[in-house]
Amino acid sequence: MNRLASPPHKKRRLLRVRGTDVTLLAQVRNMAVADLGFDIEHESLDFLTCQHRAAVDPQGYDIYEQCFHNLDIVWYWGALQPIQTDRITQWDDIGDLAKAGGISKYTWHGHGDAPMRKLYVQPDGTLGPHPMSTISMLPTAHNVDSFGFDRRLFGDEGPEGSSWAWLLDRRARGRIALVDEPAIGIFDAALAAEANGDLTFQDIGNMTVDEIDSLMALLETLRQQGFFVGSWLSPDEAEAFIQADRVSVQSMWSPSYGNLGEMTGIFRESVPREGYRAWHGGASLARHLTGAKLDMAYEYLNWWLTGPAGALMARQGHYMTNSKGVREYLSPEEWGYWYDGDPARCDLKGPDGRIVVRTGQRRPGGAYRERVSRIALWNTVMDEYNYAARAWKRFIRSLGSPAS
Amino acid sequence: MSPKPTPPGQAPLYETISSVLRHNIRSGRLPDGFVLIEGPIAKLMQTSRAPVQASLRMLNAEGLIHRFRGRGYLVGDGQTNPAPIRRPLEEFGFEIPHISRSALAVRGTWQRVYDKVEAEIASCQIFGEFRVIETELANHLGVSRTVARDVLSRLNERGLIRKGATSHWLAGPLTARTLREKFELRSIMEPAALIQAADHIDHAQIVEISQQIDSGKVKDSAELDDALMRLCFERAPNSALVEIISNNRLLLSAMDKALSDLGLPEDPVAQDQYRILFELIGSRQTDAATAYLKEHLRILSFKSLARLKIVALIPESESRPPYLIPVH
Repeated sequence: MNRLASPPHKKRRLLRVRGTDVTLLAQVRNMAVADLGFDIEHESLDFLTCQHRAAVDPQGYDIYEQCFHNLDIVWYWGALQPIQTDRITQWDDIGDLAKAGGISKYTWHGHGDAPMRKLYVQPDGTLGPHPMSTISMLPTAHNVDSFGFDRRLFGDEGPEGSSWAWLLDRRARGRIALVDEPAIGIFDAALAAEANGDLTFQDIGNMTVDEIDSLMALLETLRQQGFFVGSWLSPDEAEAFIQADRVSVQSMWSPSYGNLGEMTGIFRESVPREGYRAWHGGASLARHLTGAKLDMAYEYLNWWLTGPAGALMARQGHYMTNSKGVREYLSPEEWGYWYDGDPARCDLKGPDGRIVVRTGQRRPGGAYRERVSRIALWNTVMDEYNYAARAWKRFIRSLGSPAS
Repeated sequence: MSPKPTPPGQAPLYETISSVLRHNIRSGRLPDGFVLIEGPIAKLMQTSRAPVQASLRMLNAEGLIHRFRGRGYLVGDGQTNPAPIRRPLEEFGFEIPHISRSALAVRGTWQRVYDKVEAEIASCQIFGEFRVIETELANHLGVSRTVARDVLSRLNERGLIRKGATSHWLAGPLTARTLREKFELRSIMEPAALIQAADHIDHAQIVEISQQIDSGKVKDSAELDDALMRLCFERAPNSALVEIISNNRLLLSAMDKALSDLGLPEDPVAQDQYRILFELIGSRQTDAATAYLKEHLRILSFKSLARLKIVALIPESESRPPYLIPVH
């Protein structure tokens, strides 16, 4: 090789990651760049924009970090390529929640899109639960969600826990907010409507057109009665509702509870007796990757399972699929609080270094195994998603206008 | 008051077709024993098959043509027993008189208008439920309400619109349930048509399409599905079955078109399935082909359900025709 002809400084290799702020944390990127020796570019988008861009612009990213439930859209668009599990070093350490549908064969696996149902690439090109040597998405971060409530209105939960019925409770009229995303928000509303006895669903994870119509009609009635203050698209909007004291109950995601400022302790994470709404995130390979770029992508996927990223996820309340690897990177106090459900033995910091848990606090719902054993349903892109998402979008849009 | 003469193009289409056929039979152009089959007649007159069927039934009742043991009708009253003549119509100097030609041309315009409305109504249904306003449709097309009503009743016959409780015309929504039901129908009817058609399929055509798939000339699944319809199912002697199959596919192809317009890539697994299917049909393994067709439809149904979810990403077009009003 002619050394004189080489450029004065070599351009660093770059891996482009498209995803949501659930996993696209600056701290994750910095650690990955330090460990992997190539640059990583994050493109963080809201759920719907992210899945849309991932589908229609597959050349614009190398790695897609999202939730299993939206694979129905992106996979069948042909934007991704199968991941070979024999190139995933820690494949055997990936948890049964992703691989087998639940942490134990005796626990109820939940309605809707359990990740296993979208995990394995079947010979006919579809995604299904039968184990194969290739997968659609490498399972990584996951969690179980509920709603947040104001103790000043609802009091403490008591031994039975709260109920999803609180999310549409008349006492909170005018102070209720829902999350905008249709594969998530519609289920928060449906769980609430079923819990308070207004509606019943034959399979809440795969509603019929009639059931969707009934749910939307109920929400419209409640909207006209002034139940809703609005909807939120990103978690900071949810936190803003609380900090401005505009909501008494709303859809909430785990990291927000560490960002409530003066409302900490007043606004709490519920442990609904009906169970949680679960989600499982992961990382996929763009279809166009080949050769050296594909090797880089596999390096990055493998890095996700080495522990440091999982530790950062834990500090915002999310679990990792191979928790053993994560434990090494957490202090015993952190592990005790986030995974084992122990009372915090000291103040704990979040991913950005601010204190998010105070000494003595205990994680609502308890330990990992307790929480993930109580999954009512998974975030889901139902068969009637096209119909439901359009109806949901109209409803969300109508929340913007003053109630009549 | 004398009755107004019916202007060309306003008479029912099957009347026009019947008079053309009558003309050619009575003038002796088409000899006794000539085999009349809907497809070629429809093609020559640039119409759909349904009016040709109606016209053949009419001529049969008149005794000008008669049924026989094969597919189609034979020219003649059936008293003599001529050998069936299976030749193209053109070889016998088949003639379309001027008056009928202009009637058919007007009909051709009608057909184009109809095709446009059919495409618009089929493709809107992925976005939800719509009311179809007859007066708006007439204004939009620049035709009389009678013609608009004609178009609507044809759409109704083909299962694309229906009357609501308040007597309004309604279209859609195309839901997962509709899709599932349409595929259930496909897997009942299409294998049945394939069995019926087995002895009437032109194997040279099947060999040709197989070669086109192998050489990569035909990749488009919609095109392959269309070939399956044209070269195989349409050969089934039961024309009513063929028509139901064709109508049942309308909404499904509208959805596919909307998705491929978005740039959805081709599915290589589906291409491979069509290749195998045509191979089985080509080698006359009818039982295996039928079983394979059922499996192919099962997978297609599953994938179509997944693809319907992708439709959620398509914003409803701003350029919706004015005669469609969303029902929310």
